[in-house]
Amino acid sequence: MPKHQIPIIDTDIHERVQYEDILDRLEEPFRHYIANCHWIQEKHMPYTQPSVAGVDRADAKLPDGRPAGSDLPFMQEQLLDDIGHEAGILTSALDPSPSSMHGWHEMAAALATAYNDWQIETWLDKDERIYGSVHIAAQERDAAVKEIERVGPHPKMVQVLLPIDDIMWGDPYYHPIFEAAEKHNLMIGMHHNEPPVYYGKWPRYFIEWHTLIPTAHMKQITNLMFNGVFEKFPNLGLIMIEAGFTFIPHLMWKMDQQYRDLRHEVPWLKRKPSDIMREQVRFTTQPAEELTKKEFMSLIEQMGSDEMLCFSTDYPHWDFDAPDRALPNMDPELKQKIFADNAKNFYPKLPNPKEG
Amino acid sequence: MKEQVVCKTSEIQPGEMMKSTFGKQNVLICRTPDGDFHAFMNQCIHQGAPLDKGMMCGATTESSEPGDYQYCHQGEILRCPWHGREFDIKNEGRMLANPDKKIPSFKVRVEDEDVIVYK
Repeated sequence: MPKHQIPIIDTDIHERVQYEDILDRLEEPFRHYIANCHWIQEKHMPYTQPSVAGVDRADAKLPDGRPAGSDLPFMQEQLLDDIGHEAGILTSALDPSPSSMHGWHEMAAALATAYNDWQIETWLDKDERIYGSVHIAAQERDAAVKEIERVGPHPKMVQVLLPIDDIMWGDPYYHPIFEAAEKHNLMIGMHHNEPPVYYGKWPRYFIEWHTLIPTAHMKQITNLMFNGVFEKFPNLGLIMIEAGFTFIPHLMWKMDQQYRDLRHEVPWLKRKPSDIMREQVRFTTQPAEELTKKEFMSLIEQMGSDEMLCFSTDYPHWDFDAPDRALPNMDPELKQKIFADNAKNFYPKLPNPKEG
Repeated sequence: MKEQVVCKTSEIQPGEMMKSTFGKQNVLICRTPDGDFHAFMNQCIHQGAPLDKGMMCGATTESSEPGDYQYCHQGEILRCPWHGREFDIKNEGRMLANPDKKIPSFKVRVEDEDVIVYK
């Protein structure tokens, strides 16, 4: 631990695959579609890249030209060893990222299987600090459940990834996914893909879209809440990845107030939404707004809990949060919670000595 | 240490930059397109990113109107390799979005072929 007093649990690290890495793990005809027909996952963000090296930290690109996040030894040197991570959770990135794919369900399901195998062999089995996320083509529900059953029991898979995009996952049609996750002690991690934040459309500028990403996260929490997912699966937890955390008190107050008026519509909700959030919903800290200590502590007080925030770097992306710079100073007990213990208490499959 | 040769003028072409050390400090030497040399701390004031991994480029300016971009200061803007924050090399390293903030800078002079940083 060269620089930090607290060993960090980093809840958002983006490893990156390249198509050639997973071709031999793909079944036919899907290998054929990529190798011979040049299929690539469609992504269509209509903006200039946000920073110097696209969506990555410019210093995270590999010396041999491979993209950031694609090499374990480099990640160890630049992140895990340098900062002193106790553990990190992989959440994948970009193209191809089967958990965030649109359309073509068959390809998405095949890609998820190949990706999970690649992730286990290339990352989870190679560094004891690294934990993984189960990729599924959630739009293909039954194939998704099958994939959770296949790789969910892996000891280092800690969550199932669901994209925040244009499908609301609280719909009862998708509940078998939550059932399978809960069965295997996997949490649900939601990370935005390319969510519509302007009435189903892209706003004119990237800065508008990026500012409003938390609204897409709020929609998913609200949707799962009032569709009764947390009541139906009481051992399931949801972690919202990469929208920051300053919107949490607003959402808790708003849902509680609405629940007091409109409970009759969602009678399956037995607990106050804010209580459910405190018990079952967590948030990664990045991208942290630059709050003063006073503002930060006020926010924690408004949440009514100091156990909801889990530190994340978002390495190797451009809006990376440095562990020693992103959050204001806080007392050691709170720091221990946010940088490590809250994540350990949330993920049943992370080692947690406190629980024996 | 009050002054130090950090590089030769021929080592940095106009529009380019390189990292060096000044005593124990990591510094960044930038050469703007007009040939001038500038020296800054090689660490972003936001979250500590190594600035030499960033980019020297131009910037859209505050004289832009909605929907109408004005772009200039080519080669005079330093962009952070992480969050992309922009700093004006020729205006004391001030941040474009918040000119009250600036990257700590050092004085520079050129003697013959030597680029000398001093306090």
